[in-house]
Amino acid sequence: MSFHYGQGYPGGHNPQQGAPYGGGRGPYGAHPTAPPTAPYGGAPGPTGYGSYGVPGYGGQYGPGPGGAPQGPYGGYGGQPYGGANGYNAPPGNVPPGVNPEAYQWFQSVDADRSGFINMKELKQALVNSNWSAFNDETCLMMITWHVWYFLLDMFDKTRSGRIDVLGFSALWDFMQRWRALFQQYDRDRSGSISGSELHQALAQMGYNLSPQFSETLVQRFSARGGRPGIQLDRFIQVCTQLQSITQVFRERDGAMAGSIRLSYEDFLSSAVTRLM
Amino acid sequence: MAYHSPYRAQPHINAPPDQGFLWNIFQRVDKDRSGVISDSELQQALSNGTWTPFNPVTVRSIISMFDRENKGGVNFNEFAGVWKYITDWQNIFRTYDRDNSGFIDKNELKQALTGFGEQKSYRLSDQFYSTLIEKFDRQRKGQVAFDDFIQCCIVLQRLTDVFRRYDTDQDGWIQVSYEQYLSMVFNVV
Repeated sequence: MSFHYGQGYPGGHNPQQGAPYGGGRGPYGAHPTAPPTAPYGGAPGPTGYGSYGVPGYGGQYGPGPGGAPQGPYGGYGGQPYGGANGYNAPPGNVPPGVNPEAYQWFQSVDADRSGFINMKELKQALVNSNWSAFNDETCLMMITWHVWYFLLDMFDKTRSGRIDVLGFSALWDFMQRWRALFQQYDRDRSGSISGSELHQALAQMGYNLSPQFSETLVQRFSARGGRPGIQLDRFIQVCTQLQSITQVFRERDGAMAGSIRLSYEDFLSSAVTRLM
Repeated sequence: MAYHSPYRAQPHINAPPDQGFLWNIFQRVDKDRSGVISDSELQQALSNGTWTPFNPVTVRSIISMFDRENKGGVNFNEFAGVWKYITDWQNIFRTYDRDNSGFIDKNELKQALTGFGEQKSYRLSDQFYSTLIEKFDRQRKGQVAFDDFIQCCIVLQRLTDVFRRYDTDQDGWIQVSYEQYLSMVFNVV
């Protein structure tokens, strides 16, 4: 019997690991609730940011069930910023392939006009705008400093501590798609995701986890002082980390038994390498 | 005993600093006079010995360790714990930063992590120490600064604690299900 971990990210292969679990057709099989034809399921092979250019970006990728946005793994390879992502006719001097909104925000943050945003500039910008970015629509795009740090690090492919406008645009798109997913799963439109909503979301993404697990995550990642529920930024963090940790587990569970044996060092290094 | 976590061992015990001395510091750090030191107030007050801002993730980790009411900062009583915690780590760091460069390299890190337990700790490979340096070296120097060193130790300690909970026979190996594994790791992030 093969154990369903949940496929996590349909089509979401991590090229760095050379993992064969792409497209919901990998050896683990698609979870029943996650159709293998999920919007992102199609593109085999490493896509990196190119995954933003898979057919469907243009409109139909209203995130279907299981359509969790992919991480940025794989870097700038491929043909990511070309025409496929729909920004080929930018107004003004927005570089090709860059989301105009992201461009504007980038320009206002890049105080020294270096062409890069570093952590200091980002933090300054967040302080000035009351710790929220993307405050165009409601408060859904509130991103706390901690999660910004995490996301920027994810998109900082050269590990230089800074990010250029192309990388930032990719990060922006990544977050917009997560926002669409978030809104879809926030069924009561409360602005946060409850334990049961998270459980449904994770089940639709293909994860086979207990309701208690989702409750625990919500308790752990709820905003301080508020009622229980996770905000968009924590939702992104939880889902991307879940993908990443699931990948670690799969790599060690060759027999698909649903259980692994780990040494102390292997446990430490698996957690350290995939989480930070 | 299969492994002994080096991360649990308490650093050298310092004599508790005088209350007046601490109060003085507290007031200087608490810039907005709210009676609670926030993340950014503590971050500004701390130096990692280089000209870069203190790692905000380390600051958050430390504050959350002592912030009992989950108020997002520490009051004066809690600050005494923060102060002791940081100075204890500072002593350790100085011991192993032999050349006083403000950074410790892989070998120094290895010594620091194995050295301060009362017994020899569980052996971790060279490869693992390289991974640690790579992950916690925010300044990309191939070495870790003080703030990143603390963060590294905090993470290792949490991971070790959670590992021990599952390693009931203490042989250095665990058998866990998918959901158990996820919970273990999420405990730490």
